[in-house]
Amino acid sequence: MRPSAGNERPPGRPVSGFVPGFAAGAPPPAAGASPFGAAAPLARPGGPAGPFAPPTQQQGPPVAQAAASPRGPFGAAPPAAMGGYRGPPPPQGSFGAGPPPPGPFSAAPPPQGPFGMAPPAQGPFGAAPPPSQGPFGATTPPSQGPIGAAPPPQGPFGAVPSSQGPFGTAPPPFRPPPSALLQPQSPTGNTMPSPTYVRPPPVQSQPQPVQGYYPGGPNPQFPPSRPSFQQPMQNMPPPSMGPPSSYSNQPAYPTTGPPMGTLQTLVEDFQSLSVSSAPGSLDPGVDVNGLPRPLYGDEEPAKVLEAFPLNCHPRYFRLTTHTIPASQSLVSRWHLPLGAVVHPLAEAPDGEEVPVVNFGSAGVIRCRRCRTYINPYATFADAGRKWRCNLCTLLNDVPGEYFCALDASGRRFDADQRPELSKGTVEFVAPTEYMVRPPMPPSYFFLIDVSVSAVRSGLLEVVAKTIKSCLDDLLGFPRTQIGFLTFDSTLHFHNFKSSLSQPQMMVVADLDDVFLPLPDDLLVNLVDSRHVVESFLDNLPNMFQDNVNVESALGPALKAAFMVMGQIGGKLLVFQSTLPSLGIGRLRLRGDDVRAYGTDKEHILRIPEDPFYKQMAAEFTKNQIAVDIFSLSDKYCDIASLGSLAKYTGGQVYHYPSFQATTHGEKLKHELSRDLTRETAWESVMRIRCGKGVRFTTYHGHFMLRSTDLLALPAVDSDKAFAMQLSLEETLMTTQTVYFQVALLYTSSSGERRIRVHTAAAPVVTDLGEMYRQADTGAIVSVLARIAVENSLSDKLDSVRQQLQLKLVKSLKEYRNLYVVQHRIGGRLIYPESLRYLPLYILALCKSLALRGGYADVSLDERCAAGFSIMILPARRLLNFIYPSLYRLDEVLTVEPDMIDGALKRLPLTLQCLDTAGLYLLDDGFTFLVWLGRMLQPELMNDILGVSLSNFPDLSKIQLRECDNNHSRNFMAVQRALRERDSSCYQLPRVVRQGEQPREGFLLLSNLVEDQMAGTSSYMDWILQIHRQTQSS
Amino acid sequence: MCLADLEFDYINPFDSSSRINKVVMPEFIVQALLSALFLLSGHWAMFLLSAPMVYYNYTLYERRQHLVDVTEIFNHLSREKKRRLFKIAALIVLLFLSLFWMIWSV
Repeated sequence: MRPSAGNERPPGRPVSGFVPGFAAGAPPPAAGASPFGAAAPLARPGGPAGPFAPPTQQQGPPVAQAAASPRGPFGAAPPAAMGGYRGPPPPQGSFGAGPPPPGPFSAAPPPQGPFGMAPPAQGPFGAAPPPSQGPFGATTPPSQGPIGAAPPPQGPFGAVPSSQGPFGTAPPPFRPPPSALLQPQSPTGNTMPSPTYVRPPPVQSQPQPVQGYYPGGPNPQFPPSRPSFQQPMQNMPPPSMGPPSSYSNQPAYPTTGPPMGTLQTLVEDFQSLSVSSAPGSLDPGVDVNGLPRPLYGDEEPAKVLEAFPLNCHPRYFRLTTHTIPASQSLVSRWHLPLGAVVHPLAEAPDGEEVPVVNFGSAGVIRCRRCRTYINPYATFADAGRKWRCNLCTLLNDVPGEYFCALDASGRRFDADQRPELSKGTVEFVAPTEYMVRPPMPPSYFFLIDVSVSAVRSGLLEVVAKTIKSCLDDLLGFPRTQIGFLTFDSTLHFHNFKSSLSQPQMMVVADLDDVFLPLPDDLLVNLVDSRHVVESFLDNLPNMFQDNVNVESALGPALKAAFMVMGQIGGKLLVFQSTLPSLGIGRLRLRGDDVRAYGTDKEHILRIPEDPFYKQMAAEFTKNQIAVDIFSLSDKYCDIASLGSLAKYTGGQVYHYPSFQATTHGEKLKHELSRDLTRETAWESVMRIRCGKGVRFTTYHGHFMLRSTDLLALPAVDSDKAFAMQLSLEETLMTTQTVYFQVALLYTSSSGERRIRVHTAAAPVVTDLGEMYRQADTGAIVSVLARIAVENSLSDKLDSVRQQLQLKLVKSLKEYRNLYVVQHRIGGRLIYPESLRYLPLYILALCKSLALRGGYADVSLDERCAAGFSIMILPARRLLNFIYPSLYRLDEVLTVEPDMIDGALKRLPLTLQCLDTAGLYLLDDGFTFLVWLGRMLQPELMNDILGVSLSNFPDLSKIQLRECDNNHSRNFMAVQRALRERDSSCYQLPRVVRQGEQPREGFLLLSNLVEDQMAGTSSYMDWILQIHRQTQSS
Repeated sequence: MCLADLEFDYINPFDSSSRINKVVMPEFIVQALLSALFLLSGHWAMFLLSAPMVYYNYTLYERRQHLVDVTEIFNHLSREKKRRLFKIAALIVLLFLSLFWMIWSV
């Protein structure tokens, strides 16, 4: 590992040095891997600077130390270890001294040296930023300098190119992906299957093999250090070595040093472990780089389609484990949620349309008893005159019009021509029996806050312009209905009668008893009244320009909107820029109180304050109105209360903290137009049927339960997913296969009643191991996240996090019990291949906006908004949200524009990946965070920002525009490429410089989920913790 | 109170919850009056028996959980049913006891 680490990213180190917080933590890192695991060690050294010297020297020793005392803090143990080591490696001494670069490097053996040494280098940096920098800084200017400074080392390490150099020669054999060479950070390593770890070279021989690997071992200097290095290495378990080589292509962030002492025991286990790469893959716990990281994002369980080719695609329906346990006892041993994530309107890739079937006079063919729709798993009998329902096994008649003969195998001759008999996903055209009223026209009603804060922030202008530009694309032309209501302390109705040339405004000041000034013409047909609507939108910003009203009567406005829309239904878009302060539904400024955290009252802040909003939501759902909340306040506006409107009506919450049109305008514009123009299913209901013996019990998402298993969704679109949990009704399942059928009955924008049906089958198994094999991390994390967010509404954040951890531990323990005896792998953390990312995701989830920390870590509104987002995000976007993608851009910006997409490589989310001379972009699906390294070339920075940093621009207000240079164009191209991958949200770029506190802290550092933050563990610690807990019985 | 049982798809949650909520407050008040009556008429034992339930109702009311929430009704269905069954059982016991006392005193 170390090698890989060291190899290309000396720079990373420096980073750690910069951040004070980290620095503290980092010192031990010097040791190597310790940075991660080291949380404890860090503290112990005492003072970064003081202890510093020792740590550096220890670099090698850490390992040795490790051997001696597992968790031994560095400070304590070092002396002995150091002494021992020091002798052999003179270079180290030098290192500590300060001639640094050469020293540290020289210590490292050439081939390995570069790698192994890397850690030391890190040590200095990470350990005591100041000191390390001091020495290095002196010798060399840039952070890289340290490394680069040392002339000799530089060759191999410092300069990326140079570092590559050494590798370049050797790598071929090791790194399967050649491209990796170019991209030191390429994450590929992760995915390496456990087998890779297997059979690392015997310990002693390690050094040699290593050399062998890197024949190119450049520096003569290194040899001397070699011995010293070797020693440590010997202590090191081979596995660590093994992985390194296999991972060398991996993210080369330097952290990988020798494992910290604590891990030593684990390490050895690995060794033996690696031999038995049986069913469970082993955890390479020692080596941070070797820990599995989901750098390829979500993996859809596509193999399910191989086993069940007639199933719908997993993007529509994913079970947490694609098996159904055969008995209750099995369920009780499966500690993870048993359930599914349903994304009924997921966007199909281009060219893959959902087939539409019209049964005509035969009517939709369904089972008489359980109302299941005909599907590919239905079997035909009696020469095609009957069909057997696969859910309830009832024999149904086939209508005459639908009859077709069977072939020898009992299959209908026309099965391939009929999508409903050959595809897992189809849409039926529903006849009139499926309507309670004529299909509604798509209708949009806008409720716009025009109080002073909305006017000042420029909200009105953005909204008016965006809506106007979307008028042509609104769904359902020519039936679209549209209406507006503006409000501050009074309600302003607008008459859009088509015979008028200008809209008429009517003011209603009676908030206690809201009435409509006009019976109709408040919600009008867009085609007829187009000119009136346009002139209204043109005037809207000016109309309220001088408004100084600070009040907001949202409650009465909602009632008024309900009266206007009640008859038709549709979509209600609420733009709210202050806390509702008048009339019914007014909210208090219930301050986020630090004293509430950690007590039983904590959760109260996260639930709606006033029952009015829930009641209103129930009324809205009943009348097929979906509410989308755009909250644009710069102060607290109680998203917890407002959001419940969206929660029970199938809506969505958009939160723009401290909205300013100049900075957030683009984002609002994009998301509002997406909201208005994405394909939407109106007045829909969804039901999931499943075979005998199982039942869906709880549902999680934005909807309203109409009866025990019927989800009412006034509007649903491609951005919303739902999760649900299953339970077994019978103690023993008698069937071999369980079928699921998701049916969404809706009105399309064109006014057609449709039923979208997804069918899937899952085998019944009696073996817990099989359940683990078929587990789907994405779905599990989705369900867990939603449960956690719901729990956070009734419980303390802390206990929610503990519950998550407990579930993880229990499930791993159960898995361990399955295999530990037969494979004699007592000391290792073992986990199924399918769940290899689960620990990391759970850790990331605990650190996500919605569940992170306590009082000061996240503002209450943001926390609630994140919670609402988590409740609707489909699995893939959820995973990206909790474990954002980090890319290094400075190199990408110089490549050809059309190569950009391929050149983007995700990096692990740790500080060690950040190079002070680099430009990074973090994409969590909602924002782009652009991080400028301290040593980033000024020209590049200027090119991108469009201003010179020497002017000290306010980075929080800066806007990234395309400037006339290649860097900027490429930078924009990167953003476009990333946005194209997911068009449901517009990621607003925010720029932050290294060392810019406190912004860097809460924007970027809090997203580096693998690092240790206040009160939370690093990835390494987390794994160790989980490991310990799974072992204790 | 038995409306909870009607939930099996025969009635929609909006109606059922409004019907349930309509009787909740009267029920609480009647309960409180009844136990006050026991207290005033000197039936200490009876009062002690009915007091816990009144207190329980009071805490529910304090926590604003006494009304059924339309939006969450299905999530709480099993709990609500259990709660109501217990209440019915308690009421029946109370009824029998008061009958018993009545007969005894006659």
